[in-house]
Amino acid sequence: MKSSRLFFIIIALIAGIGMGLAYGWLIDPVDFFDLTPDTLHINYKTDYVLMTAEAYRLEHDPGLAARRLAIFGSQSPSAIASQGLAYARTNGFADSDIALIQELVTALQAWSGIQ
Amino acid sequence: MKRFPFDILLTLLLGLGLGLAYSWLFSPLRVVDADPIALRADFKDAYRSAIAASYAATGNLPRAQARLALLGDINSTEALNSQAQRLIASGEFTQADQNVALAIALEDGTTLVSTPTATSDNTVIVIKESTATLPPPPPDLPFQFTETPQPIDTQIIETQAVINTAVPRPTRTLIPTIGVPFALIAQDSVCDTNLPDGLLQVFIFNSNRRQIAGAKIIITWENGEEQFFTGLKPEIGNGYADYSMSPNIAYTVRLASGSDIASELTAPTCQTSSGETFLGGIKLTFQQP
Repeated sequence: MKSSRLFFIIIALIAGIGMGLAYGWLIDPVDFFDLTPDTLHINYKTDYVLMTAEAYRLEHDPGLAARRLAIFGSQSPSAIASQGLAYARTNGFADSDIALIQELVTALQAWSGIQ
Repeated sequence: MKRFPFDILLTLLLGLGLGLAYSWLFSPLRVVDADPIALRADFKDAYRSAIAASYAATGNLPRAQARLALLGDINSTEALNSQAQRLIASGEFTQADQNVALAIALEDGTTLVSTPTATSDNTVIVIKESTATLPPPPPDLPFQFTETPQPIDTQIIETQAVINTAVPRPTRTLIPTIGVPFALIAQDSVCDTNLPDGLLQVFIFNSNRRQIAGAKIIITWENGEEQFFTGLKPEIGNGYADYSMSPNIAYTVRLASGSDIASELTAPTCQTSSGETFLGGIKLTFQQP
């Protein structure tokens, strides 16, 4: 086989692999489902923390709030809420929402100390 | 004439296959920044419960609707009711109530009302809709939160003509009000040999004639009281519940959320076509006016 022919074959192989990777990663990546909450976008995580904070304001049950936040994995509930608070502060959440999350963070920190 | 370079084409296709296999099977893109719609069913349930709990606290229906839309349920009301039934089955009645309250609000388009109580001679009525603003969506996300309605504060204050009498500030008590009390619209004796003896059947509908799951029913008799819930037999109806009555005992039935009272309910004595007697049942139907 001519060396030029071998060269073209290698080029074709590399081009094919490149096209396959581009298609599989960029054009039509794998559709994921049945995901766990830790994969959520930070905005959704923060909104979930906000929901928990809103419910906490009515229920005043830090244990229940901690159980709600436990879906995000092994981090402590107060750490999860603190991350949400940090994101809310830097991303234009309403002051009233930030105050609610702050209240939840404080309650969870106190609750964690008791546990 | 030059021969078509099949070997190069085959090599290209081989490379394409290898690239696809690597990108789809061996090293798919790592999942980050996922949407709630992609969550596993049980995590969607947890997310939905949090939405319902948040709605129970704030009464902010547009925000709850925007959040529910993220889960991609075909019918959010059905999803909430279905989850409420599962929660009831697992004994989590508070969360079930919250789910049902949100489902009803979605159907009726009503919002929870925070009703303060006043403890003075003056009449103070304050109806306040929760109007916390929605968090801004990040620019790279496709979903949109709905607009937040403007604050509505309606105050009707009838003050007495007494000078220098301070009006006490009302104590703000959040009372989730599902709606007006249910009316007992039908009470029938049922003589059906196919049904268990002494079966008390209860059907509960909202104002749109939609059956309501998760409604708590309180049944009392001379020396006792029990509670049971609609929605545990969805094959009959989401708003269906039943109870087995003992003979010769008078029962009183009402809904925990407020309703007419069906009293002096005793299982009727029925006869088959051959003249044999058996214990019949009673069917009650409650509906929101």
